[in-house]
Amino acid sequence: MSMIKYIFRRILAALPVLFGVLTLTFILSRLMPGDPVLATLPERFTTEQYLAAREALGLNEPLLNQYFDYLSRVFTGDWGQTYTIAKGRPVWDIIWLRFPRTFDIAIFSIIIASIIGLKTGVIAAKHRNKFRDTFFRGLALIGVSIPVFWLGLILQFLFGYYFDILPAVGYKTSGIGDPPVITYLRLIDCFISGQWYLALDYLEHLILPIFCLSFITIASITRQARSSMLEVLEQDYIRTARAKGAKEKDVINTHARKNALIPSVTIIGLNFGGLLAGAILTETTFNLHGLGDALLVAIRYTDYWLLNGIVFLITIIFILINLMLDVLYAFLDPRIRY
Amino acid sequence: MRTKMKQNTIEKKISEEKESKENTFKRIVNWFISNLKFLFIPFSRYETLVEKEYDYEKTISKRLFIRRLKSPLTMIGILIVFSIVTIAVFQDWLTLYPREWFINQVYSGAFDPPSAKYPLGQTDLGYDVFSRLIFGARTSLTIALPAILFSVVFGVIIGIIAAYYSGPLDAIIMRIMDIMMAFPALILAMVLINIFGQKMEYIMLAYGLLGIPFYARLIRGSVLQAKSLPYVDSARVAGASNLRIMFRHILPNVIQPIIISFTFDIGGIILSLAGLSFLGFHDPTLIEWGFDINKAAGRIADAPWASFWPGIMIVITVLGFMLVGDGLRDALDPRLKNL
Repeated sequence: MSMIKYIFRRILAALPVLFGVLTLTFILSRLMPGDPVLATLPERFTTEQYLAAREALGLNEPLLNQYFDYLSRVFTGDWGQTYTIAKGRPVWDIIWLRFPRTFDIAIFSIIIASIIGLKTGVIAAKHRNKFRDTFFRGLALIGVSIPVFWLGLILQFLFGYYFDILPAVGYKTSGIGDPPVITYLRLIDCFISGQWYLALDYLEHLILPIFCLSFITIASITRQARSSMLEVLEQDYIRTARAKGAKEKDVINTHARKNALIPSVTIIGLNFGGLLAGAILTETTFNLHGLGDALLVAIRYTDYWLLNGIVFLITIIFILINLMLDVLYAFLDPRIRY
Repeated sequence: MRTKMKQNTIEKKISEEKESKENTFKRIVNWFISNLKFLFIPFSRYETLVEKEYDYEKTISKRLFIRRLKSPLTMIGILIVFSIVTIAVFQDWLTLYPREWFINQVYSGAFDPPSAKYPLGQTDLGYDVFSRLIFGARTSLTIALPAILFSVVFGVIIGIIAAYYSGPLDAIIMRIMDIMMAFPALILAMVLINIFGQKMEYIMLAYGLLGIPFYARLIRGSVLQAKSLPYVDSARVAGASNLRIMFRHILPNVIQPIIISFTFDIGGIILSLAGLSFLGFHDPTLIEWGFDINKAAGRIADAPWASFWPGIMIVITVLGFMLVGDGLRDALDPRLKNL
């Protein structure tokens, strides 16, 4: 019961932040140079057409009116329409179309990265200052300092062109067709409709982006897991466990690991949020047409509604992930009570 | 007679002023050495100890600090940072072609492979890849360093004020910082650069603004802890003003985590600047590694050299700062003392 109360309180506490983000995006989008009206018009237009389009978009109203209008629309679920990516389609459509692709890459990379990263972090801490530690630390350091787009390009060159074993760009072979839209997640749609070759094709295209993103995420998870594992290994209860004659393997696995992995959960969650928002670079490199790509278009061509919608969505996800992490903490660590 | 005396005094004053101006730099350096050595030498502020004990502690901690800093990885990091700074400073002596060669001109041989004239190949407009690598070093450092200094200075000031004067002021400041943190950083950077314009100063400003919440939060936590310690109370009893307590008494005691994350963040900022310029949010008058990769990305299949080398430079630079940051953290962080 107290858990539900806690979650409720956290959501209430997140509301001002959400509100602030909405206000900030509104102000920033109105400050951007460029004119969103131009995208709604044909290539050649008259002044009357321009003024009419401006009126129709509601941009002639006072800014404060626009702001309150925007707020009320956001909370009723109408996030406006976009004219840059597609002419006059609701922003929600674009999000439904683009977000699953970003989500696929992010979820696969975070799963792979947490499995490998936690493992390597523990190994590095176990063999402190030995060869394996230095090796994984060095690798993690390189992973932290490698630019994700450059890694993507190098992978493209190696596997896409030089060895020619994987598709280099895109998310599907051109002209292969799409599965019927059921859950919006392409992979699941493929399986439901029984088109296995589509699913395989999709997975084949995702290998490089996922490798690229997970390499970078593994690095930061390894670093976190290693340092928290080292901290735990210094604790008194580890010394006690060793003193009473427990095997080194048992000390690591049953006494140290669980306590050390709790701080790593935060890093994993933050990374997942970061992957969703920061996939812009990977998506551009691999030409994946995901959410980040749409965002880039929105910023370049001053699409107020698309920009606000995507930023709002990412913020909501970020806040939800943080909330979920805190709840997860209580499950992992019985000492924490809300 | 009288006028002569007046002239004499005026001349004296002028010469004194000149002298003081000449000495300003010396005085600043001396001030740093005498007042800020605690940044680098732990325990150097423990002046209340018996003199001999103090000397002993100092030499021991100095030696410990240097010994911990002398790990091979850290030395590699220092070497990398040193050489990148050298390249940035002496770029005109190291390039094969002068800077003017790269402005508004097109040469034959776009994306040509490495040759004797162009040791690392050519870019889209026929430029020399190697020379552009050299020029990119200064661009990265000149954008990253002021940006991060900006965010450290303002973040520290805001964080200290918020924590020291807790209450409604703290709540308001921290809510604003929360909102800025909840906003995805890369997106905020792109929007800010789009608003300000694609100029070097504005990119610095955008990055400086973005870093403020992080440092404000970092220092706020430690100030909240330090505020309740006895030395703050005794300073207040001695009649020190709030400003003096904040910046002379508390700040020196809480600045170490800032120093550590500062080094890491230089690397991080260089990395995300490269990302931004890869997306096209850069100052078009500058030579940047990230934008060079952007230009060459479309031809990765047949001209990999044009995008490979700038990336290598980014990795090396960022790696250098990260290694130094790692080393500094190991040497300074008291929690990891026994490692």
